[in-house]
Amino acid sequence: MIKKKISIAMALMLVVLSACSQSEGNKVNTPSSSTEEETTHQTDESEQPSDPFGKYSETITLTYGKAVDPSDKSLPAGDTPEKNQYSRHILDNLNVDTKVIWQAASGTNYDQKVNLAISSSDLPDALVVKDTQLRKMVKSGQLEDLTDIFDKYASPAMKNFMAKTNGQSDKSVTFDGKMYAIPSIQVQSDGVHEMWIRKDWLDKLGLTPPKTIEELEKVAAAFVEQDPDGNGKKDTIGIAGQQNGGRLYTNFLESTNNTFGLDPIFGAFKSYPGFWLENESGDPVYGSILPETKEALGKLRDLYAKGLIDKEIGIRKSAYEPVTGGKAGIFFAPWWMGYGPLPDAIKNDPSANWQAYLLPLDADGQFNSRMGAPSTSFVVVRKGYEHPEAVIKMLNLLVRDEAKFDISVPVGYYPLRVPMSYTDESEYSAKALKEVLAGTKKPEDFTDPGYKLLAADIQNVKKVKKEPYDNMDIQHWDPQADTGTWSRIYSLLVGSSPLEQNYNKVYSVLYSQTKTMESRWSNLKKLEDETFMKIIMGAAPLDQFDKFVSDWKKQGGDKITEEVKAYNQ
Amino acid sequence: MTKDATIQTRLFDWTLVIVLLLISFLCLLPLWYTLAVSLSEKSAASAGQVWLWPVGFNWNSYKQIMNDSSFFHSFWISIQRVVLGASITMIITTMMAYPLSRSARDFRLRNALMWILVFTLLFNGGLIPWYMTIKALGLYNTIWALVLGGGVPVFNVILIVNYFRNLPKELDEAALVDGAGPWRMLFTLYVPLAVPVLATVTLFTIVYHWNEFFHGLVLTSGEEHYPLQTYIQQLVVVIDTANMTEDQYKRLNELSNQTLNAAKIFIAMIPVLLVYPFLQRFFIHGITLGSVKE
Amino acid sequence: MRNTGFTKHYYIMLLPGFIWLLLINIIPMFGIVIAFEDFNPGKGFFHSEWIGLENFEYMFSLNDTAVIFSNTLTIAVMKIAGNLIVPLIFAIMLNELRFAVMKRWIQTVVYLPHFLSWVILSGILLDIFSYTGPVNTLLKLFDIDPVLFFARADLFPFIVVGSDVWKEFGFNTIIYLAALTGINPSLYEAASIDGAARLRRIWHVTLPGLRTTIVLLAVLSLGNVLNAGFDQIFNLYNPMLYSTGDIIDTWVYREGLLNMQYGLATAVGLLKSVISFVLIVVSYALASKFANYRIF
Repeated sequence: MIKKKISIAMALMLVVLSACSQSEGNKVNTPSSSTEEETTHQTDESEQPSDPFGKYSETITLTYGKAVDPSDKSLPAGDTPEKNQYSRHILDNLNVDTKVIWQAASGTNYDQKVNLAISSSDLPDALVVKDTQLRKMVKSGQLEDLTDIFDKYASPAMKNFMAKTNGQSDKSVTFDGKMYAIPSIQVQSDGVHEMWIRKDWLDKLGLTPPKTIEELEKVAAAFVEQDPDGNGKKDTIGIAGQQNGGRLYTNFLESTNNTFGLDPIFGAFKSYPGFWLENESGDPVYGSILPETKEALGKLRDLYAKGLIDKEIGIRKSAYEPVTGGKAGIFFAPWWMGYGPLPDAIKNDPSANWQAYLLPLDADGQFNSRMGAPSTSFVVVRKGYEHPEAVIKMLNLLVRDEAKFDISVPVGYYPLRVPMSYTDESEYSAKALKEVLAGTKKPEDFTDPGYKLLAADIQNVKKVKKEPYDNMDIQHWDPQADTGTWSRIYSLLVGSSPLEQNYNKVYSVLYSQTKTMESRWSNLKKLEDETFMKIIMGAAPLDQFDKFVSDWKKQGGDKITEEVKAYNQ
Repeated sequence: MTKDATIQTRLFDWTLVIVLLLISFLCLLPLWYTLAVSLSEKSAASAGQVWLWPVGFNWNSYKQIMNDSSFFHSFWISIQRVVLGASITMIITTMMAYPLSRSARDFRLRNALMWILVFTLLFNGGLIPWYMTIKALGLYNTIWALVLGGGVPVFNVILIVNYFRNLPKELDEAALVDGAGPWRMLFTLYVPLAVPVLATVTLFTIVYHWNEFFHGLVLTSGEEHYPLQTYIQQLVVVIDTANMTEDQYKRLNELSNQTLNAAKIFIAMIPVLLVYPFLQRFFIHGITLGSVKE
Repeated sequence: MRNTGFTKHYYIMLLPGFIWLLLINIIPMFGIVIAFEDFNPGKGFFHSEWIGLENFEYMFSLNDTAVIFSNTLTIAVMKIAGNLIVPLIFAIMLNELRFAVMKRWIQTVVYLPHFLSWVILSGILLDIFSYTGPVNTLLKLFDIDPVLFFARADLFPFIVVGSDVWKEFGFNTIIYLAALTGINPSLYEAASIDGAARLRRIWHVTLPGLRTTIVLLAVLSLGNVLNAGFDQIFNLYNPMLYSTGDIIDTWVYREGLLNMQYGLATAVGLLKSVISFVLIVVSYALASKFANYRIF
């Protein structure tokens, strides 16, 4: 069984390699040699870099803590979260023996473990942490300074990824001029929340995708009132909302991947709660306390009262359910919905034609999207670990070989895996695929190996996309052919394509905590979350907002705003 | 008159029976509901159509559990924990309770020690120092962390102390005349007489060790060391998406497994339900509030 | 008494228990120092900066503090009252039941919820009270609009108290049943037996016979007025319910572990311990003085 999987992986690899060698002709033969070539490019820099993929002559050990998905059953028999194809790949290539010192379910349980490790100063050699934890660890002097090591060992590919973030990634891991972590570098599309809508419902009711808030209200009302699923019951939801523990909108600390939040509705009011913005005079202000936010909340309250937003917003155990169960008509989320919940949604109803749009627009006809931080998770190394460079080599290896792995085992099992890619990877790939499908470009026109998965995507696209190639409706797809491939290609072609349009990108002035926030922020955020949800659900009057603003300022908000200002200068 | 009275009495009796039965039914509801969900069709369960009877009856969930080795592994850990935890706790607490049930005249430090116990019941250093202590003691990731990690069950000690104190003093006198030492007094005189309280406290200990999930989460390194409740907790807990990274999101295969989880919960309830009815007859005499001052 | 030579053996008997107590319960108490420190894990417990009462001052400046203390108190007091009264009524009803077999069965059944964990029960409760769940289906039959129970901060304390009473009432009858067995049967005979008289008998014989028990239980629950039940609320609440449902223990957990506000969390926890300890001492004294009773 395992052997079979490996041979499939090998076959896949050969395909990828041949695609590469075709495309790059006589220049290079394999991705690995291509990186080597880039390495040699770098030699004209002052210092001789060490080998980013150097294999240790003796096996070294690296311990780390791991977040796992308890419901995942993809590992072949005999493999464990600790020992699997990825850890073996690392052992074979780098001679690094990775050991899971503890594991916990992703989310709160994992965070709890990390926090316990931090507060008891009982750290594994390396860990994946988030911003607040990184700060705590730096403050406690628990981390190895990676400045020089990163410079010496990071592969050119990884350095390229970092360079594309305009210094934002560097900034997020640099404290007093020293680098204390390797940041994840995520695709920017993870932070752009689009409107996903049941196009089949729209067609059935003779509607078009809603362009404005008013139209959105009409469409949602039609979805609720006119029985779009045709079961004779009034059991459909206009706009789905986040689940219990989910977020109404992204914020500067958690700025990406807010499935089922309502960010675009706020955006249509030019409101960006949770983000630090600049006012006319260039001073930072907190988006949640601005009048636009009150306006947006008023509208949401109105929509909720009319029953157009999921009654159970913020309470549901799983926000996926109304979507997979075919009960919801609209939700807001990033590009990758083809990975989930849509596979289950079309399994239950093959005609569920979910399409994505950059809508609704604001009064000026513009789509406003808040943009995420490029780095949200961080790989850190315990102070005193003998081989800090091993961590960087592992990540180099991941970047180099990610496309070669047998993807039936999720890459999340790669030790210390954080996402690393060009920030524009999904838009770029979507565009490339369309051009290849349209025949305007050839696979060999795309040569940058930094777009790790593109060659495979081009190879696979026709497996799941049926003709006509320019019609993205669900009936022109073949999800059964290969669900994994369908997930990715559908996410790209349907989810990422809209991002090629022009839209207004709104960045937060800051994506990390200031000093006072360390003690006060959780309380301010609690105040905000509670007030806004109550206003929307009608448990508090809209004017509660004004009280919130003054409370927020009094309870530390003003002081924090000053700090943000200082940080910005 | 007498006839009226009997009718009234009967009416009274039957109303009582009906009310009591209704209340009992209410207590069984969650159990029944869980069973119904576990035997239902997945889609019906997630649509909330299941109420008192399974919709789309099937055994799939239970069949699935049969193939889930980690479920049974956790089950086995819980069994070990309960057996070790209950026996060790009972021996230690009984031995503690005997001296503490002596009067202050008999055992001078008795009151001071008692207050120390109560003090530890209320004060603690918080999670982190406790976690560090467990680690330093080398208990981390062993079954002993689960067995001993909760500390001395002070409340149970107090229950046994009070029961011992309420036993007639004359027995002591007689035994002393017989020349019995404290060990013989405890094990041949007190323990047999205290069966109700010991049975009750044993049950408390079993239930505690069976139901406790947090220690499993904090004091072990991962799933292969989880006791059953920890295993279940991580399945039913609301997934906190706020802290997830991108790829975790993408892997979040969230087609609700309500029916499977219900089946697991149901199986997890069974052992406790099998044990307590047998110890039930001891409860009334086993739980004593305290004692009237001598 | 004459058994002075026994003391040595008493110490031996206590030894295992007190070693256990020392290792697991007492040693970790060094962590209380965090309440007076700006705790820095890198520096450890004894080398972090000493800031005196700053954490406490900050605690009192927070709006949250008043909210969580009052939430805790509200929920705990309601629970105490409910857990005194409901089991009392039920015990009396059970006492009046003449069918012995049925009595035993009913007892078995009502004890049941006590033995189930909140992890499990709260999962079930969340289902039963969900928007499309059985309770709302039932309300629909009576033409009542479905209620979003877990978004209603005003209802949440009642759900918490109600479900707690439901879980514990059966088991809590035990103490009353024990006390009832202590009532002199001759009193019953004297007051027997005609029909309506049974209610009067409850009033004149049963209740007075339970009076001491009731008073004692009430006094003993003093120590619990700051325990509103972590396991239960932690597994049931969500941010919309914080205003009425966030209690000291859940707050301390979130601040102390998830938000890494060690000093603040420890300070609040310490305050809770001190208050509870004072209350226990008071209840001990009250019971001893007025009921001539020793709790331990």
